[in-house]
Amino acid sequence: MFKELDPILHSQLRLAVISLLVSVKEAEFTFLKEKTNATAGNLSVQIQKLKDAGYIEVMKKFKDNYPQTTCKITPKGIEAFELYVKALSEYINK
Amino acid sequence: MEERQLSQHESLLLIRQMIETAKKEQKDDGKGWIVWGWMLFVSSILTIANLHFKWFNTYFFWNLFGVATVIIFLYETINILYFKKRTGVRTYTKDLFEKLNTGFFISLLFIIVAINTGVLPTKGFALLISLYAFWILIYGTALNFRPSIVGAYLSWGFGIAALFVKTFEWVMVMHALAVLFGYIVPGHIAYKEFRKLQRKEKPESV
Repeated sequence: MFKELDPILHSQLRLAVISLLVSVKEAEFTFLKEKTNATAGNLSVQIQKLKDAGYIEVMKKFKDNYPQTTCKITPKGIEAFELYVKALSEYINK
Repeated sequence: MEERQLSQHESLLLIRQMIETAKKEQKDDGKGWIVWGWMLFVSSILTIANLHFKWFNTYFFWNLFGVATVIIFLYETINILYFKKRTGVRTYTKDLFEKLNTGFFISLLFIIVAINTGVLPTKGFALLISLYAFWILIYGTALNFRPSIVGAYLSWGFGIAALFVKTFEWVMVMHALAVLFGYIVPGHIAYKEFRKLQRKEKPESV
């Protein structure tokens, strides 16, 4: 029996964001926007969903009078990502 | 843009594409190695010429190198503090390199002070080569960059040779060869690879 794919991660933009964050220490919103080519609005919504799931940590601060949002994957996010990749491999190798 | 459900294959492809994108951020452009490599190389060669033709005192070109280093350091500090655009991402490798760089420069200063307070320059430069090799090996291993790993071992070879050669002129030859194979060649290879990566297309819209 195959494991169900995590619905939080099984979406294009959220998976892209998590895949980027799993490879770096932390990334700014602008970096994620540039690398995923997503719109700011959509990216904000998906980041919020990942945050609500506890998969990422979002830090907001001001730098030179501009808001700066930084995202970082949490241990729970790493675990979810690993399980997701494992489940994917099972589907593909069936 | 609406959320789109992916097939398993699409998911794997996307993960791979994003991880590759993030990996590019860890890629070094090699400019640091090129700049320092050429400065050290030229200083070594000019010192050899100076020893041969006796233009100035023995360490004239190393003193000049010291002045140039201070100018570059000040320029870089001002540039980082006021002008340089942030990349928007912090990687584990970059963080590690920042800390190791500090350690490298402290050790470098340590040896330079030792040379100026009694350690024979012939032995001091051999120690410097050994320090370069150590840092090159860490860099090459962390980035899985083979030219630097090979360059590190070659540099150590030249460093050991520098310990046993008889004249300062030969120490400078070993120093020049160490920076050529440890800094300059890997630096140019890294720069070429970096430019190649930059020319590749951006990922498709997600």
